[in-house]
Amino acid sequence: MTAPSVPVPSGVVPSRSWQRVVRITRLQFVDPWVFVWLPAIITGAALLISIAIAFIVTRIAGVDPEALRVGMRNSWAVLAAFWYFITIAIQAMAATFPFALGVGSTRRDFWLGSMLAFGVFSAITALVFAGLRGLEIVTGGWGTSAAMFDALWYVGTPWWVGAWSTFSLALAFLVIGAATTACYMRWRALGVIIAVLAVVGLLVAAVAVITGLAAWGAVVAWFTRIGVFGIFAVVLGVTALAAIGGFLVIRRATPA
Amino acid sequence: MTHLTGTPGPAGRPAVRTRRLTKRYGSLKALDSLDLTLPADRITGLLGRNGAGKTTLMQVLTGQIFPDDGEVEVFGERPAENPRVLARESFIAEAQKYPVTFHPRHVLAVAPWFYQNWDEDLAGSLVKQFGLPMDRPISKLSRGERSMVGIIIGLAARAPLTFFDEPYLGLDAVARREFYDVLLADYAEHPRTIVISTHLIDEISPLLEHIVVIDHGRVLIDSEADAARGSATMVSGPAEAVERFIESRPVLARHRIGRLGRATIGAAYDTLAPAAQQAGLSAEPITLQQLLIDRTTSPGSRTEPSDQGALS
Repeated sequence: MTAPSVPVPSGVVPSRSWQRVVRITRLQFVDPWVFVWLPAIITGAALLISIAIAFIVTRIAGVDPEALRVGMRNSWAVLAAFWYFITIAIQAMAATFPFALGVGSTRRDFWLGSMLAFGVFSAITALVFAGLRGLEIVTGGWGTSAAMFDALWYVGTPWWVGAWSTFSLALAFLVIGAATTACYMRWRALGVIIAVLAVVGLLVAAVAVITGLAAWGAVVAWFTRIGVFGIFAVVLGVTALAAIGGFLVIRRATPA
Repeated sequence: MTHLTGTPGPAGRPAVRTRRLTKRYGSLKALDSLDLTLPADRITGLLGRNGAGKTTLMQVLTGQIFPDDGEVEVFGERPAENPRVLARESFIAEAQKYPVTFHPRHVLAVAPWFYQNWDEDLAGSLVKQFGLPMDRPISKLSRGERSMVGIIIGLAARAPLTFFDEPYLGLDAVARREFYDVLLADYAEHPRTIVISTHLIDEISPLLEHIVVIDHGRVLIDSEADAARGSATMVSGPAEAVERFIESRPVLARHRIGRLGRATIGAAYDTLAPAAQQAGLSAEPITLQQLLIDRTTSPGSRTEPSDQGALS
């Protein structure tokens, strides 16, 4: 009973830490359907619908193109695929995580590799969207005064601030979605409910404090001062907190 | 190419050791202070009834779940979150989850990144042999085809410690035969520690060198397979003759169906056979499956045989 068990076989050096992380990143990307084709189809479909609407409104209904462009800048079509990012995050945790454990990954490597995948994907999305926005401006709204990528807060910002906001928001959807699902993998439904209630509670407390101090004016002034870049820097900061929290949660999570 | 076999040390040293290993699910003890050693470079059958704790044990040994109490060592180290140990284990669970959109070709593209001994040729030939459809979502595969995916990973990974969890659910007799043949041939060429959890005990019995029977989260039998088979004998014949024969012998289990009696006696076949013949009974060495049935009883039927003796 006290005889030592066979030591870990020597002869093959365990792969380095970063290699174990990167293979999880590759695992997340191995099926292009998830991170390439489906986001492309959703965004492409949203663009086609935007162009079709613009075409109908300007050419058939005869609305002034410039008025349409201003109106369409309130369209949220640019974010169409972002809701799907939440699905990506949930599936990456609920199904890919148990698979990664099954083939001998550690939770640490799985989380870091997945975060790296999300970061790479968000960066590429930001660049692609910046390119599409440039194309939209150059073509006068795809020839129909349609506004999809040069809409919302993007309007009037330099291309790199727009890309920064795309990156920050895409990463936020993915990471917060993954961290929430990590709560499920660790504590099941009760964990998610408590996590969501905790966040809502914090927000309500913040609102109460700001209201109590009659500080809404100062808050609005602060957000105005930091601008689009600053606001999405805050979003990125919150995302970083979610990434750290998710890491701590998943270290003891188990496959469902 | 180097092969990990898990045998740098002297033979007989265990690949796995647990002490007072406990895992609770609410009030249920899935593992109840379980002490176990698994010999290295053997094929061990992990046997037991549904809910005995087999899958829980394999999950703890591969770091997939965390024990509540006790110690667990795999290759001398704790497996949980330990890349040195996990890189040397393979465990595709019976209800293994796969990434949602994955097809078998994705799984087999990814698997080599995780197993240093991965044999691409073996994986390819198994895919052909089983006729596994490579380009269909795993969620659309039949139960048998899902089992093939797990078997192919488990065999081609050549992990120094390989777990098969009910590896051939849904497979037909021919495919199961092929699995046994490939497993034995590959094991002969690349000795490693293999643990198979299964209910089809008679079928896999010839492969097993060692058996561990667990029941209610505890080890009931931990023995060489041959020793286990030689540990008991089954006698059958007219009920009265059986009753007389077992009177002074260590009875493990007995059954009576009409005028026919059958009993399992805790004595080797060789020592018992002549006397049984003389008494007009037929005797045969116990099979592993029968041993499991006789030794693992549900709480309701646990009264047999001791309580029966108390009543008469």
